[in-house]
Amino acid sequence: MKLSSEMIAALRAGGEKDVVTYLTTSSVSGKCNLYLQPYTDVYREEFIISPDLFAQKTKININENRVGLMTVAHPVKGSLWAFRGPCNIIQWGHPPKFAFHGVTAGEALEKWGDWSKLEPYDTVAEDLRPKAVGQRGVIVLKVEEVYNLSPASSGARIS
Amino acid sequence: MATMTPRMKAWLEKFGAHIGTATKQGYPTTIVVEQASITGDGVVAFNLTPAQANQIKDNIAQNPYVALAPHAIASIRAAYQFKGPAALSGNTLQVTVKEIYCTKPGPEAALRLDVLPLEHIVKFEESRWRDSGPPK
Repeated sequence: MKLSSEMIAALRAGGEKDVVTYLTTSSVSGKCNLYLQPYTDVYREEFIISPDLFAQKTKININENRVGLMTVAHPVKGSLWAFRGPCNIIQWGHPPKFAFHGVTAGEALEKWGDWSKLEPYDTVAEDLRPKAVGQRGVIVLKVEEVYNLSPASSGARIS
Repeated sequence: MATMTPRMKAWLEKFGAHIGTATKQGYPTTIVVEQASITGDGVVAFNLTPAQANQIKDNIAQNPYVALAPHAIASIRAAYQFKGPAALSGNTLQVTVKEIYCTKPGPEAALRLDVLPLEHIVKFEESRWRDSGPPK
């Protein structure tokens, strides 16, 4: 599904909001993990892209259960959304033709494989700035549903 | 039960958390609750709205193990993750913290803290953060 212009503005790399997000994944037996992710971008209006920076448990979960759910942690004003859908990590070493829901490893790694080309890592708050950067790949979330996270309407489908 | 430090408790109480739940087969649902209260060393309680309780009640019934991560500015200043079994009673969700992780992006992401003696966890916090909790 297509994200709204407001959602895209919040999640786009180098955007004015600079959101911090969590990516929730789960093992196949139901143990959740929330991965703190200060960098995101949007592709074709329906994919949320982020760098794999030491996403160790996320990778284990995605390898056995390809579903992800991204929520905005900060700033939240007007951004109480949850984005859910198929999720995978395209890693350095995947052949260029490897594809996930139409996104090829070649295009993903060329555009987002070195995140510092899009935005410097030090644009985020000092507490979140990685002391060492070892980007191993690109996390791709295909958004299939968006729901509301505001307390009174939590869970209501936005689209 | 894991032992939470005063710093962890202070940030989590003031800003609440993103609460990750999943079905028994691993289909995730996350809600956001903007405040928490903590009793003892590590029992975290959230007052949910009816919509939030309704959203996760089936997941909790079939798979009570949840993950918590601090909300809002606490996501930046207090990069922790807490995991443990939860019980939903009416609109109150109570989580008994069994695991605590550092989630600071970089090589320390996923470092498990609750396996360390409490004084080592406090030293770890003091070496990485200058505050002992959110501003009053």
